[in-house]
Amino acid sequence: MPKVQDILVLFQTSPALDVVPSAWARYEASKGTGIKDLIEERNPPYKNAMAAMRDGWQVIQMSEYHQRSEADGYELGPFPYQTVLSRFREMQTEEEDS
Amino acid sequence: MKHLISSQDMAQFTASGYLKYEDMVPKDLCKACLKEMENNKGYLAVGMPFEETWPKDTALGEAFRLPKVKGLIQSLVGPDPLYDHHAAHLVKAHTTRGPDMHQDSVIDFRQNYFDIQLSFFPVDTTDEMGGTFLVPGSHFRNVRTGEIRGYQHITGKVWATCPAGTIYVWNTRVWHGARSNYTDQDRYMYKLRLNPTKPQIRNFDTSDIDNPEIGRILSTHHGWEGHEHRYELMKRIELWRYVSDQPDYDVGERFLRRREYQPQRIMA
Ligand SMILES: [Fe+2]
Repeated sequence: MPKVQDILVLFQTSPALDVVPSAWARYEASKGTGIKDLIEERNPPYKNAMAAMRDGWQVIQMSEYHQRSEADGYELGPFPYQTVLSRFREMQTEEEDS
Repeated sequence: MKHLISSQDMAQFTASGYLKYEDMVPKDLCKACLKEMENNKGYLAVGMPFEETWPKDTALGEAFRLPKVKGLIQSLVGPDPLYDHHAAHLVKAHTTRGPDMHQDSVIDFRQNYFDIQLSFFPVDTTDEMGGTFLVPGSHFRNVRTGEIRGYQHITGKVWATCPAGTIYVWNTRVWHGARSNYTDQDRYMYKLRLNPTKPQIRNFDTSDIDNPEIGRILSTHHGWEGHEHRYELMKRIELWRYVSDQPDYDVGERFLRRREYQPQRIMA
């Protein structure tokens, strides 16, 4: 089977690569086209992006800092920063929808 | 009114966006409610007074009028709330769910205002049955409904596991979603959304309003806040000032002073 791209996204409250992620998501194309059963995970898969890099993940995007203004500097919404990591893995046959 | 929630509970609702109360609905009534849920029909009259709109001669009619439930409702949205909508949520036995994180309805910026949702679990709900998950403290983060589906996992996420008769009550802006049900049993959750009709000020039991524990509750770390904890805290303090009618309330370093203390603006 060919190797295809897997993505791991770490959602963070600072763009630094050594901060603990607040949230995370996996897009593992090697396994299929989406998650049909989300298994709960209490802790992030790595303590930070650098730990993922040491495990073979390659950073393909890190966030820029935001300019803050008085109007929005205190506002809250989605997590402000994310690190996108990539790794190539051998493709598996996707399970059929039952 | 009896059965009002304490100021400490109200502070926890302010900080975490939800409260859990077991033993709200007696077991026999739970069974009768479950039967009615199986035949749930669509919305009633959206935006009309709850007391007039909500059926009276049914088990669900009785459940949401139990004195304890009334006290809880009054504490959060005050007297004479409006019926917003209701639904009987079902996750059938052996149904898996993928990522489902969302904020309900549409984005909601109303200041000094919140709707509540009561989530009533009529059967014992175990971990494996896929009770609703919540992200405690996420209610100050406005997002457009399902766009946060990409946050598959968040540190500090909790999910409903509880005995029959439990009610979770939550600020409708809390991020949440459904989970997989791995059991042989269908999982029901009955939700009811209510709107206040009056300012939500001091509707709860204020006899413990000066308890110093309140400051600690408002400062709770739920796990995901990271570098934004103090911005979360500012939002919580603003809401607490409003609901407790203490316009100068603050804790610790008093971060709201960074906006409010401006002697240069005071004219002689
Ligand atoms: Fe929802």
